[in-house]
Amino acid sequence: MKNLVKIIILPLILTSCLKSPNSENLNFTFTGGVFIVNEGNYRAGNGSLSFYSYDSSKIFNDLFQSINGRPLGDVPNSMAIRGNYAYIVVNNSGKIEVTNQATLVSVATITGLISPRNISFINDYKAYVSSLYSDSVAIINLTDNSISGYINLRRSSETIGIIGNKAFISYWTEGKEIMVVNTDNDKVVDSIEVGIEPESMTFDRYGMLWVLCNGGFARQNYAELVELNTSTNSVEKTFVFPTKDASPTCLKIDGNGQTLYYLDNGVRKMDIGAKDLPAATLITPQSGQNFYKIGINPYNNDIFVTDAVDFAQQGYLLLFSSDGKLVSSQKAGIIPGSMCFKLVISS
Amino acid sequence: MSAFRKFDEFNWRLRYTILLYSVIFSPLQLLGQISLEDDTVKINEVVITRNKIITEPAGFKKTIIDSATMSDYSNTNLSEMLSGKSMIFIKSYGMGGVASPSFRGTRASQTLVNWNGLNINSPMLGQSDLSLIPIGLVDDVHIYYGGASMQLNNGGIGGAINLETKPTWEKGTLVSLNAGMGSFGEYSGLIKVKMGNAQIQSVTKGYLLADENNFRYLDNENGSPFVWKTRTNSQVSQQGFLQELYLNNSDNVASARIWYQSSDRHLPPTMLSTDENERQFDESLRIMLNDNLTRSKSSYSLTGALLMGRLNYSDKLSMNNSRSLSETLVMKAERESHPWNYINLKINLSDELCTVKTNLYDRKVNRNTSTLTASMERECIDKFGITILLSEILLDHKFLIPDFSTGLQFRLIEGKEYFLKASISRNSRIPTLNDLYYPYSGNADLRNEYAFTYELTYTMDQKISSLFNTKAELSIFHSTIKDMIQWNPLNSNFWTPGNINRVNSTGLESEVSMAYSVNKFTASLYVGYSLTKSFPEISDSPGDNSVGKQLIYIPINQANSSVRFTYGEFYTSLTTSLTGLRYTTKDDLAYLPYYIITNSITGIKLPLHNTSIDFSLNINNLFDYNYQSIAYYPMPGRSYFVKILFQLFK
Repeated sequence: MKNLVKIIILPLILTSCLKSPNSENLNFTFTGGVFIVNEGNYRAGNGSLSFYSYDSSKIFNDLFQSINGRPLGDVPNSMAIRGNYAYIVVNNSGKIEVTNQATLVSVATITGLISPRNISFINDYKAYVSSLYSDSVAIINLTDNSISGYINLRRSSETIGIIGNKAFISYWTEGKEIMVVNTDNDKVVDSIEVGIEPESMTFDRYGMLWVLCNGGFARQNYAELVELNTSTNSVEKTFVFPTKDASPTCLKIDGNGQTLYYLDNGVRKMDIGAKDLPAATLITPQSGQNFYKIGINPYNNDIFVTDAVDFAQQGYLLLFSSDGKLVSSQKAGIIPGSMCFKLVISS
Repeated sequence: MSAFRKFDEFNWRLRYTILLYSVIFSPLQLLGQISLEDDTVKINEVVITRNKIITEPAGFKKTIIDSATMSDYSNTNLSEMLSGKSMIFIKSYGMGGVASPSFRGTRASQTLVNWNGLNINSPMLGQSDLSLIPIGLVDDVHIYYGGASMQLNNGGIGGAINLETKPTWEKGTLVSLNAGMGSFGEYSGLIKVKMGNAQIQSVTKGYLLADENNFRYLDNENGSPFVWKTRTNSQVSQQGFLQELYLNNSDNVASARIWYQSSDRHLPPTMLSTDENERQFDESLRIMLNDNLTRSKSSYSLTGALLMGRLNYSDKLSMNNSRSLSETLVMKAERESHPWNYINLKINLSDELCTVKTNLYDRKVNRNTSTLTASMERECIDKFGITILLSEILLDHKFLIPDFSTGLQFRLIEGKEYFLKASISRNSRIPTLNDLYYPYSGNADLRNEYAFTYELTYTMDQKISSLFNTKAELSIFHSTIKDMIQWNPLNSNFWTPGNINRVNSTGLESEVSMAYSVNKFTASLYVGYSLTKSFPEISDSPGDNSVGKQLIYIPINQANSSVRFTYGEFYTSLTTSLTGLRYTTKDDLAYLPYYIITNSITGIKLPLHNTSIDFSLNINNLFDYNYQSIAYYPMPGRSYFVKILFQLFK
């Protein structure tokens, strides 16, 4: 009788969850390639994780769900790898999924975070996590995957860049500052005024910090590309974009730390020693394409671009050679966003 | 209600409108003078004329929710009733949560929700939240399918729902107290007081609802082992009242209605998120004045209304705090005449002046919409009937392309209620104010979207014997929605609406009902099924894989069934509804599976001297089905609701 009840009840339970296609991805190992964090739609819970494998030149979708038997969460935003672990920051679920980086099997979930965006590692024991809707950066204890404290910035935070014992943290939404934190004592030591809404940043080969300020959500101001001296915490150079219509995003740098890339009506490329912003695009989107994020392979300068199409269905991962020629186009998840390279073969 | 304000800036528009009305209604003024001397028309005739206005137009499909169902659902809202008792798909975020209708594969903004013929959809969103409409405050719910909705207003491409309140003209007083309590901290109360006679009627209704909504659900979305959790941040409280006053002076019926309602809701997070900081406050005040004058072969109706709606939303986490107030002033005039037997001619002029004040827009927004509608109907009394309707919209000094609908109806067997109906219509919907004015995104150059709808319906109503009656209806429909307004991204920051899509919606609806009655025993059975295929036809993006794919959250298959028995004072009913799988992404790669929900009601109605007491027990989700209507929003399992209805007649 009990079995009969189980037979009747079990389908009622199992049929309730969202169904999505399982790709043929259970049969591969995570060697060289790039992870793509598919954000999915806000509150729809359809974010996912994909991996482009250089070995097979194929993309494998919906990995976290396939391997762990549950959805990744609501709006995964970014991913970073440290040692044996991969950390996937899930914004609207307020959590970080910690997985074995070789297998993607979940080993821990760090919960209780407020709208987390990005994670940056101070060392093997400590990491900072930025927050969209709180005024503090969370300090993560990597040994037990817990929140060990907070750094009160009195403002929201987005990108975190770490060099030496300094963390440079951008105040993105409606902000115009880069906060400087001493990573030894987790204290705010300085702030640097830049352009409106510093959205992304990267270090060059000389340890200079390049900050891309997109000018504001509604393009109220001119966007700026700012070069910061990380030793003196001061602005070295500012490039002002020619029109307010420009809304550049997603600043990246190549493996040599010499060439900057960003999105502005296509992919643009700029040497760090250039006198002016690039006038032309290296890669121009085709009709109907919505370039959303880029990633640069640090070893061969391959350019990965995500196309979010209409932000409501599967997007594409576009792979271009370093000179901008299309190599492949493959379907990713919904709103394919930030990327995380995994180029060292792990055991 | 701090929102009451003078509409000084609209005065010139009102004068213009009144001038138009005076031209159309010049005969009315003359007849009105005559009516003072003519007191021969009987009261009942006035009521019948009122019913004629809402009679199903020849060639079109319309249904009315029966009174037993209205009674069974009197402590619930329109969303819950239509989920179980109609072919309209309700996209619901859970008990008391936002619930929007999808009619024949269209979106919520393409379904009209009317109150006594006046559109009460939000001018900002273009849709109504059906969870905010208590069944206890309305007398009848009429459902107009496809082109039939043009009898009420333009814009109901999928159809229309009309909420009716009406007088009974019975002498005496009726006091009705309806109190209930149920699972998950639900308490509701409804009071109705009807009093009057054949000349004057007053109806007062009050409604209260408090619902903790703290139901238990099995969280099967966050990995195994599955964990039972309690739904939090899901409380709902609603209150409202409706006051109606009717005056019957010979051939003239005047009415005044005031409907106030407020709702305070906590909005729960998805099963995958933790944001428990959202809250929504809705408030509405609707005032309607109406005068109906009936002369021998004509009737005239003049309606003035003020519809106000407030929507405040807050999310402490994101510090999102929107406050919106819309005010719509409506003037509507109608003349209906019957120059020959079975022929109805109708002309209707309405003017809606809408103002929206919100911190979402950078300025106060006004919009004026005038609509002139003329129709001719030959009722299908003998062999055939026909309806022709033409409608012209003047939108802020700009004439739009006219809409029309035409229906033909044939009686297949003489003397029998077997009909074949065919119709074609062009129906257009003007953009919502959010479409036009949303900051940084609104598109002021939007055109109205429009649809051509073709329908064919077979209907029969056959009395098998004096005890047994059966009805059946089968409809097929096809709509092509052109210039459909759709929000698409310009880039990662900006989404903007455009007239960019074309959607085809094709399907069928079939319904069969049977009723049997002998002595103290009655039995009724209803079975309904709908098949809807609704998909985009074109796209200008090569990477867009949504062409030809079912629209999200539109079930292809839906079925309902109900059976109801009464024996003397006892009654019981069982309602089962099946909602087919719904795709959740535009490329149809992810979906929610079907679900089947069964509800039961069992009760006893004890008539006493001048009173009656009705005890009933509702069991919802009888088989404790674990399901989601919207992805990652859990729905309650089995729940109970006990209701006591006390009625006093005097």
